[in-house]
Amino acid sequence: MFSILEKCFKKSIWVYHTNASACNGCDIEIINALTPFYDAERFGIKLVGSPRHADALLVTGAVSRQVCPRLKTLYKSVPEPKLVFAIGSCATGGGIWFDSYNLVGGVDKVIPVNFYIPGCPPRPEAILFGVAVALGLVDKKVVAEYLKEKGFPELVHERPVAESLWAK
Amino acid sequence: MLTAKQIIETLRTRFDKQILGAEEKVSNQVFVRVVPDALIPVICFLNQCFSPRFLINAGTDVVQQDGKYVVSYIFSFDSEKIFLCIQVGLDSADPDIESITPIIAGANWSERETRDLVGISAKNHPDPRRLILADDWPEGVYPLRKDFPYDYRPPSEPQNKVPLKKPPEGTKVIPIGPFYPVLEEPAYFKLFVDGETIVDCDYRGFYSHRGIEKYGDSKLTYNQICFIAERICGICGFIHSTCYCEAVERAAGIEVPLRARYIRTIMLELERIHSHLLWLGIAAHIIGFDTLLMQSWRIREPVMWLCEKISGNRKTYGMNLIGGVRRDIPAEIHDEIVRVIEKIERETVEVIDAVVGDTSLHARLKNVGILKEAVARSICTVGPTVRGSGISIDSRVDHPYAAYKFVDFEVAVETGCDIWARTLVRLKETIEAVKIIKRCLLEMPDGPIMGEVMEEIPSGREAICCVEAPRGEAIHYVLTGQDNRPYRWRVRAPTYANLQCVPYIIKGERIADVPIIIGSLDPCYSCTERMAVVDVKTGQQKIYTKEEIIKR
Repeated sequence: MFSILEKCFKKSIWVYHTNASACNGCDIEIINALTPFYDAERFGIKLVGSPRHADALLVTGAVSRQVCPRLKTLYKSVPEPKLVFAIGSCATGGGIWFDSYNLVGGVDKVIPVNFYIPGCPPRPEAILFGVAVALGLVDKKVVAEYLKEKGFPELVHERPVAESLWAK
Repeated sequence: MLTAKQIIETLRTRFDKQILGAEEKVSNQVFVRVVPDALIPVICFLNQCFSPRFLINAGTDVVQQDGKYVVSYIFSFDSEKIFLCIQVGLDSADPDIESITPIIAGANWSERETRDLVGISAKNHPDPRRLILADDWPEGVYPLRKDFPYDYRPPSEPQNKVPLKKPPEGTKVIPIGPFYPVLEEPAYFKLFVDGETIVDCDYRGFYSHRGIEKYGDSKLTYNQICFIAERICGICGFIHSTCYCEAVERAAGIEVPLRARYIRTIMLELERIHSHLLWLGIAAHIIGFDTLLMQSWRIREPVMWLCEKISGNRKTYGMNLIGGVRRDIPAEIHDEIVRVIEKIERETVEVIDAVVGDTSLHARLKNVGILKEAVARSICTVGPTVRGSGISIDSRVDHPYAAYKFVDFEVAVETGCDIWARTLVRLKETIEAVKIIKRCLLEMPDGPIMGEVMEEIPSGREAICCVEAPRGEAIHYVLTGQDNRPYRWRVRAPTYANLQCVPYIIKGERIADVPIIIGSLDPCYSCTERMAVVDVKTGQQKIYTKEEIIKR
């Protein structure tokens, strides 16, 4: 997987931003990362207008029932190889809405997720750092752990923790 | 000037026995209980005599207490600073009520929402389709009824997909969305076009319905809701938490210390500054003026840093609690606040000078997306959208909250009715917000930031609060309940009212102008849908991105 990453996303990644029923906080921070103070474009990261042009999806929000099928379609329309970033606490695991009646809870329940950037909302620096980790520009600071082994209650560990690219 | 007592008197004399009870429960908030048959006459009568502005309706399930569903229709008397709530009790066996949408067009979504979530259908509603719940949500399952657990996810019933309007004869259909690059959030518009001209449109939104109201009345406590209310919207979160807190404080009669009210005002205005600058950038981006996007976001960023310094977070401040605020604004950082906002003022004025004379902007924004005053009134639009059409509605003046009654400021009103007028209103408000903050910092008294809050907030009390968000007024209605949580908490975000005017303002416009027309309302779907790509698979329809639309 490393080699694919290195090969395909070496120069610049184009991202498509998807709001899957987020509150706007994360979305605004994503746009913020592209504006002068943070300037993601210096890493070659560019926001594009169509999923068909994108290398990576930035998904925010715990997926709602209405968005769910549309998000799947959207994921299919991104050409391979593709990366998915779940941005914000809601996208990472459902956040405060994890058990609401109209939400699916966590992007990884709907489409495979490669990287998680938690925070409510994550700072623009955090988003840039997450993408930089994905591109291999910087080292990762935390390691994935499986909650099941820690004896957490049923509800929590039922959530499938998607394999990160690094684990493979 | 009309007083609350006079309203009660007038209604009692006119309708006599049909009024079951009338009371001024909170200062300047009148709650009138009427028999179901009298609803339409009462509303017609009010419209003729006083023409109050319709805000929302809220359905409440009180079947366990007295076997009824209650619908509350909330009106605002702007110049008199009075809220009027007409309540109707409906028998639980047959919870149907006559629709008021034929009289007040702005009640359209509100009634459909009550049908979707509480199961009270409006008879003779002109457009009784599903509004909020997902396409595969089963019929007859109403999430805001008390017997529905907040974490129950009913099985999928795909056949319930909401039918979209039939296109008028001789028109082509252009779907936009739900994922499209112009606006951040998902919403699906279906445009019916004749050549380049738009004839009509249909809207399917509510992709972001998250069930916040249900959380509020079944899972969380009074003080926890302050934090979830901030997450209704990532841009105007503090407005929602202030609005919720004030509604509970009014209902319970909690006195908030003056200093806390000033702190709330300062935070609200900081939020207004960053939201308006954000909007300016996004609007500029929509019409392809990316330099302005970069400039306005550069100007905006110091506000975020300032908010972080004050509250500890850039967006969700977590400052409000029932009875006051959690963090003080110490005297040491007053100078810094003044320095930052003065720099913003200076730079915003520079931007305004550059923008106001820009003829290419005039060409895109003037005489486009016209919202006539009469239409704005009938659909009950709010905020800069309506102030751009020459109507001076601003809840900071009409229904003062926080410390606004101690602060003088000018309400920006423009009469152009077009996108340009709405832009000017927002720019003026940004400058005005700087003045308000400076004034507040000067006048802020010393003292506690948290008031006395009783051990238990008494149940069965209700109150309404209106807060002017950057997009318009947010309205929260709270009915207090047992177990330290509200019995019913109803939220209406400003975009909820504003989006309903989209079909009116895009009629007759060209396709290329649609993104900026919708953008000019500063829509914020997550608020609207709170609680909250079609790839239309059939036929030749496809998703048109902004670029493709412009290319056409």
